Amino acid sequence: MDKLGDGLRELVTGPDRWLNLGLLAGGFMVLALLTLAARALLRIPLKYTLRSLRARWVSSLMTLFGAALVVWASVLAFGLAAGLDHTLQVSSDPLDLLALRKGATAETSSIIEESLARQIATLPGIATNQRGQPLCSPELVVVVNKPRRTGGGHANVLVRGVTPVARELRPNFRLIAGRLPRTGLREAMTSPSMAGRFYGCRLGESLEVWGSQFRIVGLFTCGESAAESEVWTDLKVLGQTSKRPNLLSSVQLRAASPSAMAVLKDRLVNDEQFALKAVTEAEYFAEQAVAGLAIKIVGRIISFFLTIGACFAVANTMFGAVASRAREIGTLRALGFSRSNILAAFLIESLVLAMLGGLLGCLATLPLNGLSTGTANWQTFSEITFAFRFGPKVLLQGAALSVLMGLIGGMLPALRAVLMNTVEALREV
Amino acid sequence: MKFLPYLLKNVARHKLRNLFTMLSIGVSLFLVTLLYAYLDFQEELGKQSADYRRLVVTHVEGLTALMPLAVVDRIRALPGVKAAMPLSWFGGLYQDDKLPFAQFATDPMQCMDVWTEYRLPPEQLLAWQQDRTGCVVGNVIAEKRGWKLGDRIVLKGTIYDCNLELTVRGIYTGPDSGDPEMLWFHYSYFDELLKARRARAAGRIGTVFVKVADEANLADVARRIDERFASSDTPLRAMTEQAFVQSFTEMVGNVQAFIQNTALAVVFALVCVAANAMAMSLRERVREVAVLKAIGFQRRTILGLVLGEAMLIALAGGIIGVGSVKLLTTFVDPSVAGIPGLTRFYVPWNSAFTGLLLAVGVGLASGVIPAVRAANLSVVDGLRRVV
Repeated sequence: MDKLGDGLRELVTGPDRWLNLGLLAGGFMVLALLTLAARALLRIPLKYTLRSLRARWVSSLMTLFGAALVVWASVLAFGLAAGLDHTLQVSSDPLDLLALRKGATAETSSIIEESLARQIATLPGIATNQRGQPLCSPELVVVVNKPRRTGGGHANVLVRGVTPVARELRPNFRLIAGRLPRTGLREAMTSPSMAGRFYGCRLGESLEVWGSQFRIVGLFTCGESAAESEVWTDLKVLGQTSKRPNLLSSVQLRAASPSAMAVLKDRLVNDEQFALKAVTEAEYFAEQAVAGLAIKIVGRIISFFLTIGACFAVANTMFGAVASRAREIGTLRALGFSRSNILAAFLIESLVLAMLGGLLGCLATLPLNGLSTGTANWQTFSEITFAFRFGPKVLLQGAALSVLMGLIGGMLPALRAVLMNTVEALREV
Repeated sequence: MKFLPYLLKNVARHKLRNLFTMLSIGVSLFLVTLLYAYLDFQEELGKQSADYRRLVVTHVEGLTALMPLAVVDRIRALPGVKAAMPLSWFGGLYQDDKLPFAQFATDPMQCMDVWTEYRLPPEQLLAWQQDRTGCVVGNVIAEKRGWKLGDRIVLKGTIYDCNLELTVRGIYTGPDSGDPEMLWFHYSYFDELLKARRARAAGRIGTVFVKVADEANLADVARRIDERFASSDTPLRAMTEQAFVQSFTEMVGNVQAFIQNTALAVVFALVCVAANAMAMSLRERVREVAVLKAIGFQRRTILGLVLGEAMLIALAGGIIGVGSVKLLTTFVDPSVAGIPGLTRFYVPWNSAFTGLLLAVGVGLASGVIPAVRAANLSVVDGLRRVV
């Protein structure tokens, strides 16, 4: 129930609140507009359709629940994939470059000598901050295996050793609790979602890294990016404790201009002195997007099969509706309603049924919005923490599924209703 | 049993409706069985590895922290250890194409004593041991890539800054639970390349695989290894191979909860769908049920008849779904789906049975309300009712 409360609060106070609420309002408006259009187009009043659904309310409700659950499960899977994508998306400056060892696909498999990083910092074309220091951040990542607070088991946590300039390269960095770790001390900071997911990551707790205790003194957010899956500490201290003195994993830097960036990139890659791999953050994360692949495929498989299953269910209900209303349909025909009118009426009926179910299913996922979870990023061999995201795109996908169910499921029964022989239909008991 | 023909007739009466219900159940159970099979598959892999009496030793800080090669000899010298070999993940690219096959640097002198479930012809083993740049590949990956003895394979390093130029000296076969898509090569060759580049990883390894002697206790040996290195420069952690496999599943995250929740939602939706169809069928047969009661059928029998019909439909759906998933995973290589790490995926029999059981359960649950209604039907009302 706490989650439900948090989710609802997130829905109305979270960063996506206007989108979420707007989408809901928009959905209702579209539905209302469709209704109006249908009224103008259809000679059989919508009231008839809705009353027909009500007349068989048990059956309608069962189908509605079935459709709702299917949409719920599918949207859940989509939301998971969307959340992971969002985390791996780049929020950094397009002028940022990441230098790695040549051939390395991730920071965790990259090693750069610290002396080389000092030379990189002196290269021309690197942007500077107000104090005139180059925006060039030497960083060291170390992976440690830590027990999860929820869900059990262990996962690999990425610990990043940084210097103060690292924060300036991440424009979305915000310290939200505590203070920054002091240079030269075994102090660290992490994100609130990590604090909730791993032992030793809460404010005031201590995290053991290679036999040393690092006290968590601050919590930060970083625009929901991958940095929120990490623990940050002082570069020198981490190098000593993890027995990697004078070694780095990567160097992040910001170029002063696009042309300077091209020159820098060329220099880092082709100069014998460096011979590194230099990629933009967008390129780096594109390589890691594989992490989300499995979840995406599973999500698509789930929604594909469930939607087919739900189509059959909707078809069953509508066949039942057609069969039990044979005489009614005959009467309508005898009264002079055309075949297309009847077809439209039955299709609308199944659409309304499926879409109501879809709406219910979408609404039922919203309490889970923002709930954080994690999965393995095999590229960095560490866990990436991300949150379910039911943004407009995901909800629209859910709505599209329900429309599909209604249309496909309703088509055959509607055709049967239309093709009925009027005289025989009237004679039916 | 004598009512079976009657049940079948009833099911056949509404061919389209019952077919749709069956397909709805079939398609959904296809999915649920597939999801559950994934969990069972992981578990079976772990269980099977328990039979081989092996321990996996890593640095206490996990797989990414390397340890010196010398620990292998020290571990081998411990009582209760039959054989021990280094095993380092290379993770290279073949022809610049990311292939989902594992490449390991290891010790060809110990390899077959540790991985006893794999078979390699003795002359091939000898050829591999004698060729420093030789490698051994699994029969499945060899077939997929068309590799034969004597072929050259070049692997481009991603984790390590070196490329391997290997020659196929042997092709191994293994049991169903084994990985037939591995490539093994000499650690000494790999180390030489690392040393030439003065790489940090030179002389260091990721894991040690230990075969425990038959008479020794696995847990005892693991504790002995832990204690031997606890206060050294490189503290180690020994775990059973089962626990090692489990740690990878854990890393993927809380998949289990996700699968179980999805399955629960699907099953609940199915009960709704099937109950709805059953209720529709019975509504049309009110008069018939009344006649059955009038001619002396007991309420119990009517209850049983309706439940039986519901279960029959659901079971048929279950057979369609579970059967097709089993057939599909038997004949289609699951790696075509593009999900990494599923090259050996199959549907274990116990997940197939769980799927069928689930189908019967759905049938039973969906039949309850219509059955009770039918059983409690008043004969007079039923006969009078005009549908």
